Amino acid sequence: MRKIEIDPISRLEGHGKIAIFLDDAGDVANAYLQIPELRGFEQFCVGRPVEEVPRITPRICGV
Amino acid sequence: MPEKFKFAFMPSASCGGCEIAIVDIDEVILKVAELADIVYWPTVLDFKDKDLEAIPDGGVTVGFYNGAVRNTHDVYHAKLMRQKSQVLVAFGACAQMGGIPSLGNFWTTEEIAHRMYDTVPSVVNPEGTRPQTTFDAPEGELTLPRAMERSYALDQVVDVDYYLPGCPPQVKWIVAAVEAVASGELPPKGTVIAGTKAVCDECPRERSEEKQITEFKRIHLVENDPEKCLLEQGIMCCGPATRDGCEAACVVAGQGCRGCFGPTDNVNDMGAKLASAIASLVIADTQEEADRVLGQLDDPAGYFYRFGLAKSMLGVQRGERKDDDE
Repeated sequence: MRKIEIDPISRLEGHGKIAIFLDDAGDVANAYLQIPELRGFEQFCVGRPVEEVPRITPRICGV
Repeated sequence: MPEKFKFAFMPSASCGGCEIAIVDIDEVILKVAELADIVYWPTVLDFKDKDLEAIPDGGVTVGFYNGAVRNTHDVYHAKLMRQKSQVLVAFGACAQMGGIPSLGNFWTTEEIAHRMYDTVPSVVNPEGTRPQTTFDAPEGELTLPRAMERSYALDQVVDVDYYLPGCPPQVKWIVAAVEAVASGELPPKGTVIAGTKAVCDECPRERSEEKQITEFKRIHLVENDPEKCLLEQGIMCCGPATRDGCEAACVVAGQGCRGCFGPTDNVNDMGAKLASAIASLVIADTQEEADRVLGQLDDPAGYFYRFGLAKSMLGVQRGERKDDDE
């Protein structure tokens, strides 16, 4: 099956890639969106004082 | 007209705020456009790795790398930028010293993944599915980069020429850097393009001759006097050990500095320096009194290493330390 990979998805903040699989007729058989980056806000906000969290989480996306 | 410079902007484990900082230079961007062609900037234009790969080695005059180095593809990008750039700039707190993503270095990557994919309340994942570096989908193979064991600053992976600190970097220093490139008058290698003193030196708040900390209070428990030093009001502020150049922006806005400009010159470990700076300002006659005051500081690790844990001598604090092979 033919695979078209779009990596990175550009013109946005964040990290994504798309894999599109084409069948023999050239039609889309399936497509996958993948998120390659791991940072871990879900974990490293744990234990921080709650008033500090609004100073950390804006860095999830700064756009 | 001499040949135009070539600039490249590479994002990695970042939030896009650094890219916004570049756009925030407003009409100066026109001067940048006169001076340089932007040959790679995937956040703004449709560039792929192959576009940067196609540029001859050293073909980029200045490469600006933002974000921490978190996964194996970031490592590839860091090395590629070094190879292509005559001058490589660590742009922003993450590239300079790990930034907010490096707070994750307090945990192992497995612990972070367990939280993200198993226990976060909004996650439903009964089969315990995790990202795989390769996955055999019915239609063919999918690949992902591997999340390394910790975040790295850019200079822990490749050689770096200059640092533009801040979260995000401030317009005036970005402009100063561009002007330095334009004039050919580059500062010595390794220069941090910002102030050379501490945030306290440009902070407009009033303080005693010798700053004095007698207690720490959480910010919502203080009637914040806008004229007075935050530390002297018991509000945690990283100003004493943080490089200046931001015009004390957070402190002016009523929030304690969190150290995004990194340490002043000749400091290796920002958190250690902050711990020592803060401890030395505490007024206490007895050990018990010192313990009582410092005990009120609710999250020292989170304050002292808010932006700089990747560069700390601590490395990672918890769990089995596994070394990355790259």
